Amino acid sequence: MTTNAPTLSVTDLRVGSPFDELLHGISFDIAVGERVGLIGESGSGKSLTATSVMGLLPETLAATGTIRLNGVDADLLTAGERRLNSLRGNTMAMVFQEPMTALNPLMRVGAQVAEIMMVHRTERGRRQARERAVELLAQVKLPNPAEAALAFPHQLSGGQRQRVMLAMAMANDPQLLLCDEPTTALDVTVQAEVLKLIGNLVTDRGTALLLITHDIAVVAEVCQRVLVMYQGNIVEDGPVGRVLTAPQHPYTQKLIAASDLSSVDERGRLHTMSMPVIAKPVTATPGTARPRTTASAPSHVQADAAAALLLPPYPAAHQRLEPDGPPVIFNEVAGVPAISVRDLSRQYRRRGGGLFAPAPIVHGLREVSFDVAEGQRFGIVGESGSGKSTLMRILCALDQPSGGTVDVLGQSIDGASERQLRDFRSQVQIVFQDPMGSLDPRMRVRDIVAEPLRNVGRAEALARVEAQLAAVGLDADVMHRHPHQFSGGQRQRISIARALITRPRVLVADEAVSALDVSVRAQVLNLLADLVDEYQLTLVFVSHDLGVIRHLCDTVAVISDGRIVECGPTASVYDRPLHPYTRQLVSATPSMDELARRVAN
Amino acid sequence: MVLVVLRRLGVFATTVVVASVVTFLMLSILPGNAARIALGVQASEADVAAQATAMGLDRPAIVRYLDWFGNVLIGDFGTSTVSRQAIGPEITDALGITVILVLTSVVLALLFAIPFGILTAVRQRKPDGAILSGISQIGVAVPGFLAGMLLVTIFAVTLRWLPAGGWVDPGEDFGGFIEHLILPAIALGSVQGAVLSRYVRSSVLEVMREDFIRTARAKGLGAGRALFRHGLRNAAVPVMTVLGLQIATLLVGAVVIERVFSIPGLGSLLLDKVALRDLPAVQGIVLVLVVFVLALNFLVDLAFTLIDPRLRSAT
Repeated sequence: MTTNAPTLSVTDLRVGSPFDELLHGISFDIAVGERVGLIGESGSGKSLTATSVMGLLPETLAATGTIRLNGVDADLLTAGERRLNSLRGNTMAMVFQEPMTALNPLMRVGAQVAEIMMVHRTERGRRQARERAVELLAQVKLPNPAEAALAFPHQLSGGQRQRVMLAMAMANDPQLLLCDEPTTALDVTVQAEVLKLIGNLVTDRGTALLLITHDIAVVAEVCQRVLVMYQGNIVEDGPVGRVLTAPQHPYTQKLIAASDLSSVDERGRLHTMSMPVIAKPVTATPGTARPRTTASAPSHVQADAAAALLLPPYPAAHQRLEPDGPPVIFNEVAGVPAISVRDLSRQYRRRGGGLFAPAPIVHGLREVSFDVAEGQRFGIVGESGSGKSTLMRILCALDQPSGGTVDVLGQSIDGASERQLRDFRSQVQIVFQDPMGSLDPRMRVRDIVAEPLRNVGRAEALARVEAQLAAVGLDADVMHRHPHQFSGGQRQRISIARALITRPRVLVADEAVSALDVSVRAQVLNLLADLVDEYQLTLVFVSHDLGVIRHLCDTVAVISDGRIVECGPTASVYDRPLHPYTRQLVSATPSMDELARRVAN
Repeated sequence: MVLVVLRRLGVFATTVVVASVVTFLMLSILPGNAARIALGVQASEADVAAQATAMGLDRPAIVRYLDWFGNVLIGDFGTSTVSRQAIGPEITDALGITVILVLTSVVLALLFAIPFGILTAVRQRKPDGAILSGISQIGVAVPGFLAGMLLVTIFAVTLRWLPAGGWVDPGEDFGGFIEHLILPAIALGSVQGAVLSRYVRSSVLEVMREDFIRTARAKGLGAGRALFRHGLRNAAVPVMTVLGLQIATLLVGAVVIERVFSIPGLGSLLLDKVALRDLPAVQGIVLVLVVFVLALNFLVDLAFTLIDPRLRSAT
């Protein structure tokens, strides 16, 4: 390899606007057929690096340095637009993050794949290009490729669209494939398949790969070498196995520690990175914090011991749903549970159908039964479309079930009027996923946090807001600001403060950390864990991320296709999954140790 | 696809029926008795009562409505209370003129707005783009009748290139027809064109930021080709929504423009009949105008379905 010229050679690349430099002179090579990962948090400059190579930087940014592609005699940064057009999609190709929006919604996908060959005249005519497009769609393992070629993007799932993007990128056998967060928007099991596909495609054809991601597991899955980016610099460059097990740069060390949800410090807390300026370190109340699972425990014995530490009042049985078996009441609790759900169903009428035919019925949830005990930390894990969000909405009385009963804190909430639910609303609070969208941008933080309070005087309300903000690690002077002045992690702290101000007994979190960077995620998870202990909350945590649930929850229910398929103590479900779906899910979310083991092989 | 068209057709028919009921009710609620209007203020109560019976006004409203709408469906709009002649032919003639005028101005507006809007979007950061954008902004502010009067002053009075008003039937003298059509169509279309060009501009700007345009660039299409092949159809969707909404405005504009250019269209006819308090005629014209707007909106809806595959499936 060393005798050959590298496929891509980037030297002293600087990108910036007239006011601000964003990339500070980065240099790296990618050898022929080498698979390189580029990892970093949002704003670190990963995407800028890739768009610089493709020559697709926004007009407002300018780049200096040199970018050379093997066999191209020009510097890509100074090459003319015509020259770049002949290289883009031909010698180098790119796959983007958002499979939902990256394809033209008004054009059949086969035609979109064929277009890239027409543009570069790599096929003789329209018909040949169309035929080749079907072959390519078959190569990316799209079922019924001939039929799929005639589909419009909205008729395909996210994973299928990303396969189409890959077929397109690989159509002209590029020397270099750039992938920008290609699987971030996909479900974990789909992510695993698409990553495998990317790996196979580039290995088979000897294509060099630059894979951009924030997820170290993705890099470990596909790449040989990894570049770590931090604030516009490449801070570390080395083989994946070495960086994973023995990171050199302090930033990489912290990033890997914070990514690892199975490893905790001596106080049972996740490793975090330096705190943002406004956020004060949270003081854990000594004595109240329960030790959390050290899920890296190698053997079942230890895992069970850890689980037992957590579970004395809740001897949750580890059960699964048998195919064609009777409905199961999962996690059944003696006495009065905090939440009791029986035979819960939710159906939707899809719009349309025939002119006179009834609208087709979609099953969101089918005969779901489970309990959550007071003080339990109950995780619900599932992929998109599994019904987990529907379940969350019904538990919060934001949606009505089609059948079955839901009792929360001894009150029946199915069919209850908003007036009857008034007390319920202050007892059950929610933290949503999107820290941008769930805070009213025109309200000040003090009003946002105080909003759930009723019949409380203004002075008292302000005092309580201040105390609550302090409890989530924010200074009192943030009260007068607006949400857009905060980072994602800080906004999520504000959401948590709003949820806790009424002193609820149940906290429901819907993908509460999914939109956050790895380092911030660890902080918010630590905070949630502390607060759940401090306020003795019953926690229902809904997520697609098994790792997060495993860290935070003592019990987990796996939901798939509108049914709970498995439920039990988290460690037990994780280490000995009973249901095939759970097994698939667990293997798609490897722990850091597992990753290192896989890379070593 | 067929199902979707059928469903939209069903919605269209229902709206027409609802519109006819509303039109009928509004004119029934109006103060004044149609029979008295027909006979004049001097007529005796007995004569008015006899006239009302003759006109069928003493029947219950529902019967009168069904009678009226049933006849309208077979093209009979009733008899004018003033001229005592059938209203139908008069409306049909005037409608033909207004349809020609409105459609021509829509076409002119689009011919102006699409290239102009795209140009101002693409040249957004360049000085010429800003100037063009300013021009369209001024166009938005000019009312149609003022544009009409300006055009008449320049092209008809000063330059004497085109006639100042009136109408020639295309079957009679096609050249004359075109000459008489140009100025009113420009007057009516220019304002709509300016407004539309603003929407085309923002829609194209929006689309240029879309991920799939970036994908097209990454495939090796130049900026212009990417916009042309992938952007324009996508940009057309919001523009057409606005076009559909503008059609009603366009008809109101047509009423004014027909006055300015003394064109015997539906607008002129409506104003004449209102002045004469010829209620059956007004009722018929209003219904025709409403159905005209609904029909054009129906066509816009259909065009949506053709452009956007996401609207084609029945879900």
